[in-house]
Amino acid sequence: MTAAPLDPIALRALRRRAFFEGVRAISPGLVALAIWGVVTGVAMVKSGLSAPAAAVMSLLVYAGSAQLTAIPLLVVGAPLWLIFGAGIIVNLRFLIFGAAMHPYFNHLPWPKRLLLGFMNVDIVFVTFMGRFGSTLQKGSTEQLWFFIGATIPCWAAWQLTSLVGITLSASVPSSWSLEFAAVLALMALMLPLIKTRPAAVSVLAAGVTAWLTQPWPLRIGLVASTVVGIAAGMLAESRVAKNTQSGGAQT
Amino acid sequence: MISESWYVYSAIVLLASTSLICRTGYVLFGHLLPLPESLQRALRYAPLAALTGIIVPELLPWDPALGPQVDLRLFAAVVAAALFLWTRNSFLLIASGMVVLWTARWAFPS
Repeated sequence: MTAAPLDPIALRALRRRAFFEGVRAISPGLVALAIWGVVTGVAMVKSGLSAPAAAVMSLLVYAGSAQLTAIPLLVVGAPLWLIFGAGIIVNLRFLIFGAAMHPYFNHLPWPKRLLLGFMNVDIVFVTFMGRFGSTLQKGSTEQLWFFIGATIPCWAAWQLTSLVGITLSASVPSSWSLEFAAVLALMALMLPLIKTRPAAVSVLAAGVTAWLTQPWPLRIGLVASTVVGIAAGMLAESRVAKNTQSGGAQT
Repeated sequence: MISESWYVYSAIVLLASTSLICRTGYVLFGHLLPLPESLQRALRYAPLAALTGIIVPELLPWDPALGPQVDLRLFAAVVAAALFLWTRNSFLLIASGMVVLWTARWAFPS
């Protein structure tokens, strides 16, 4: 993408500089990620997953929110299609992130895009966009190696702290109810999403539906709550848009 | 204890595939699938609604025989949520929720 082709030594220096810039940029976020990793590790085992299954889960899934969402479903033996569907829904944000990252990875062969795409977790995306979001030239060597530099510490920290949590949970008595930390962690994901009035309406509608549908078997009420929540949010959004329009006409 | 290992490992493989599909779908096939505005709007509410649908039955469970239940978890969660909305600190939410639960159980043993 660069105008003049760089000689190998300059290229290597450029890559290294970009890589360590990525490492530095991601490091403040690693503290929060580490706490999350430990909480998720403990919660997985305390909810009844075996330690090997919990380790395989964090290694393969590499998505705290999807892992924490799946735990209550696994506990009641919910059908696999529901677990898959719930995983898709909480991971949907990555589809949006992927759309934004697409121009940066466009030029790479598909195996590299597959690997880089899989490593695009929340804090990497936020950090990358903070640095290169408004750059006009997308897909440079510098951007690629910044991304790699941000993503490797992130992956390593998540896996390591999950393992720490899985190991620690054996020495924590069940009376501490640490599996409740998983519910609290999900709340920490959910509450910041309530930024607008339509979002609050969506939560209310989904919450009431989730409460009322509990007698339904195997947590199938989750489907109803999600559908009702989406519908309520979109309805409230179009109502707000209408109100602001008519309000604007009056003044 | 979640015992049937084939069930657990199938769930893990399916969850891993959701990470893979969602994260790489657009990076691999983005040129083939444009996201229409209305779909993007619906997608914005989906995670929020699904997370609510997971959390509410955990905090306000129904007993198969006795119907709706209220226990100290709800109290702990409300206090933790209030502290979070005040401080915007997610670690404080988790820590305070646990501390309130332990304190409340110690104060009101069932």
